[in-house]
Amino acid sequence: MMASLTHATTTVAQTVSLFDGFDGFVLPVILKLVFVLAAFFVLPLVGGYLEHKVMGRMQHRRGPVEAGPFGSLQLVADGIKFIQKEDLIPSAADRWVFAIAPGVALVPAMLVFLVIPFGPGVFALDFELGLFYALAAISVSVLGVLMGGWASANKFSLIGGLRAGAQLVAYELPLIIAAITVAVQAGTLSLVGIVESQATFQLFGTGINVWFVFPQIVGFAIFFVAAMAELSRPPFDMPIGDSELVFGYMTEYTGIKYAMYMLTEYAGMISMSALMVVLYLGGWQLLPGVPLPGCEAGGGLFDCSPTGIALGVAITIAKIMALVFLMVWARVAYPRLREDQLQRVCWLVLVPLSLANLAVVTIAKVVF
Amino acid sequence: MAATSPPGTGLLKGLGVTVKHLFRRPSTLMYPYERDDLAPRTRGVIALMDENCTVCMLCARECPDWCIYIESHKETVPPAKEGGRARTRNVLDRFAIDFSLCMYCGICVEVCPFDALWWSPEFEYSEYNMEGLLHEMEKLREWADTVPAPPPLDDGAQPPAEVADAIEKAEKERELAEAKAAEQAQAEEQGADAGGGAPAAAKAAEPKVEAGQIDQETYDQLIAEGKSERMARSKAKAAYVKKEKARLKAEADAAGGDEAAEQAAAPKPAEVHVEAGQIDQETYDQLIAEGKTERMARAKAKAAYVKKEKARLRAEAEGQAEGGDAAASADAAASDDSEQASDGGAQAAADAPAQEARKLGDVQVEGAGEIDQEVYDQLIAEGKNERIARSKAKAAWVKKRKQEQLDQEGDA
Amino acid sequence: MTGHDVIFVLVGLLTASAAILTVTSKNLVHAALFLAVTLAGVAGVFLTLAADFLALVQLLVYVGAVAVLFLFGLMLTRAPIGREALDNQKRGLAIAVSGGLFVLLSTLIIGAVGSGALGETSVAEVAGPRIEDIGIATFAEWVLPFEVLSMLLLAALIGAIVLARPESGESGEEAEVTRIEMGDAPSSEGPQPLPDGSAPELTSGQGTEGSS
Repeated sequence: MMASLTHATTTVAQTVSLFDGFDGFVLPVILKLVFVLAAFFVLPLVGGYLEHKVMGRMQHRRGPVEAGPFGSLQLVADGIKFIQKEDLIPSAADRWVFAIAPGVALVPAMLVFLVIPFGPGVFALDFELGLFYALAAISVSVLGVLMGGWASANKFSLIGGLRAGAQLVAYELPLIIAAITVAVQAGTLSLVGIVESQATFQLFGTGINVWFVFPQIVGFAIFFVAAMAELSRPPFDMPIGDSELVFGYMTEYTGIKYAMYMLTEYAGMISMSALMVVLYLGGWQLLPGVPLPGCEAGGGLFDCSPTGIALGVAITIAKIMALVFLMVWARVAYPRLREDQLQRVCWLVLVPLSLANLAVVTIAKVVF
Repeated sequence: MAATSPPGTGLLKGLGVTVKHLFRRPSTLMYPYERDDLAPRTRGVIALMDENCTVCMLCARECPDWCIYIESHKETVPPAKEGGRARTRNVLDRFAIDFSLCMYCGICVEVCPFDALWWSPEFEYSEYNMEGLLHEMEKLREWADTVPAPPPLDDGAQPPAEVADAIEKAEKERELAEAKAAEQAQAEEQGADAGGGAPAAAKAAEPKVEAGQIDQETYDQLIAEGKSERMARSKAKAAYVKKEKARLKAEADAAGGDEAAEQAAAPKPAEVHVEAGQIDQETYDQLIAEGKTERMARAKAKAAYVKKEKARLRAEAEGQAEGGDAAASADAAASDDSEQASDGGAQAAADAPAQEARKLGDVQVEGAGEIDQEVYDQLIAEGKNERIARSKAKAAWVKKRKQEQLDQEGDA
Repeated sequence: MTGHDVIFVLVGLLTASAAILTVTSKNLVHAALFLAVTLAGVAGVFLTLAADFLALVQLLVYVGAVAVLFLFGLMLTRAPIGREALDNQKRGLAIAVSGGLFVLLSTLIIGAVGSGALGETSVAEVAGPRIEDIGIATFAEWVLPFEVLSMLLLAALIGAIVLARPESGESGEEAEVTRIEMGDAPSSEGPQPLPDGSAPELTSGQGTEGSS
């Protein structure tokens, strides 16, 4: 519905999704849904496997080895286990809120995948407000965490929920400002448009084509740190804080609901990384200024042959996984921050820095 | 943050450390496929060598978890010799350890006096049911076969006491045998030499003889026979030792007769303590006159003094026992006095006899159920409660009876 | 009735029923959650009316921030954990205030837009403005009201900070007491000069850690 609305309401020629190449209305929609669901359920598992393995090796362990080849199906096995487990609801808990909270957290995380471009034409939807939509969807996830924390009727859960609320609302600010800075530089909010603008962006008129990560390295750092905090990933995992809060807002959750929270976190890791890839790392481009093999017709970005499409998707996913690796790396290397340090970093460092970054980029955009 | 390092250096350093470890070999042991070499004293499971178990129940009693179950019965063993007494022996019927309760403290292994319990490194005995962890004797015996030999001691470490003892004993036996063989050989040689050489028994352990002196007679004879000076000296020495031993033995035999008699008379000669360090002047003079060395004479005189003194003390003690003099034996009386003081009963004060020194416990008194009515009445009159009075009176009665018995013995 | 109409009605019904539940719910947290649903429903209504930018702003600001802050404030102060109810009995006053507001707003809107503007255009013809147009309108044509509004919000923000600061007490004594109760005062967190007058060494640089 949204697709039809935006197509009807905008006059700008939007890049067309691969799935719109099929005839009719129903088939493309079904294909898009399948694509989004597949990306949502497969990529977080890949990211989780990467985390298991990297964390293991960094700690002189092997990580999972038994389930599947090289333990690659460990998270699938975990999922099956979670489904089999008893779905417990504490007797003092608010049953309804407790039950729907993981869903409230999960669905927005899933909706983000709707607009993420994974390759040339490989996206469900490209609409004018793509970036804004992604940020709005991410911001709703907090609600699920707060609901779960409160409904558990458990003090640890409540404190975890509170911490999550404070942290997620606070770090949304630098995250959004950093994203807006990119949008200012690109001149569009469409994610595909941002990728496209990076293909043509030239560094201060020198003719050297670069991705946005070079002129906006500060913005990238802010976005990366804020994204880790948004996802409650260590070293920003105070809402979970397993050494002080048992398991934060997830303390009372078991089975499939717990799995939903975990899937939210890992899907968030993928979607945040994908956003960073799109905003700063040139999307599915191989190198700055190098047209993708097989896409020569579309200026190195669009109208690709099947091999070009496959290569583009592979490049995007490789970049996403590289960022996931960075997050895992930071997780292994750094201890958890204290709650007041967390807020201090946000309000006294990231927010002013991101505002300054926005001002500088805006002025530069006007001047050059 | 030190002023020398720019901000963020620590963060990068942390990342550097972790990424360095990313490329190290994982230290994981792929357990079911490969196994670690367990330490020799691994506490895997408690194994039982049931042939060593005497059913003393120490392990079961010391177990903090009460997870050891022992059942046994008594069997009568026929006497080993004709006319001997038949003995009873405990036979182990059941020995089970419940490993679902066991906390692997190892106290049972520690406490077992007969080395029946051992730590085995076996650890793969998990079960699907908790009941399956109650393991019986057969299983425990199987584990005993997996107990590894103890690791070798460090270089230069003292051998365990029992091993050292055994080695010493074996060594001594070997030396004795050697000495005997040497003696025999010497005797044969002597026969060949027409009574020339004296057999050497320098290393014989007892009786000890002061070495270093030579038998002049033998020496002269050997020199006259044309032997070399060294040979003559060593042979003369051996001859001296031999002679001396023979003499000492004769002496000891003579003294032994006395001592045996004395021992028979005295119930416990060891109880009598004699101040050492003095010598019997008479013995000393005599030995010197006999041509002994000063040191030898002194030692013998000392021994003689001790012997005499003991005999004297014993005689004295017996005499005093009859007289009922409490102050005769100081150490015995002291312990008795304290007992009396705590008793608070006046009665027992008169019962502080010298015989206490000979251990009242040695004397068996039958009929412990009776009480000394006099003591009892007195304690009740003093306001003690009935139970205390009864037990004290009982003790007083037993003491009295013992005293009487000892007196009778003394009289006899 | 087109598909749009059906969806509009459904979303409207959802929004209205969530709004009713918000005011009738006995549990404060439930009320806040229903409020979040109401706000999300309003976003849905905007979406069906082709105002997708407004819909997303509604979602980001109201659901993602305002409702979350409501919940956060409730949980931080007096939200009963679990199923307990927390309610006051000022229904009449609430009805009076909200009814007055409704009358005021509807007369204002009808007066401003004009009753003739409603019901003339069909849904198919409604086309939301492009995001560029919105941006140009906001920052070119209406920049003065926009700046006035932002100043107003800034003033509110500063006022809130002033109210929340522990030094807001009239006498220094009171502020001192508050500081002790709060555990550590902002002023005590900076490097204090040592007794001998030298500057102390910083042991931890919280400010610089995040910026690397």
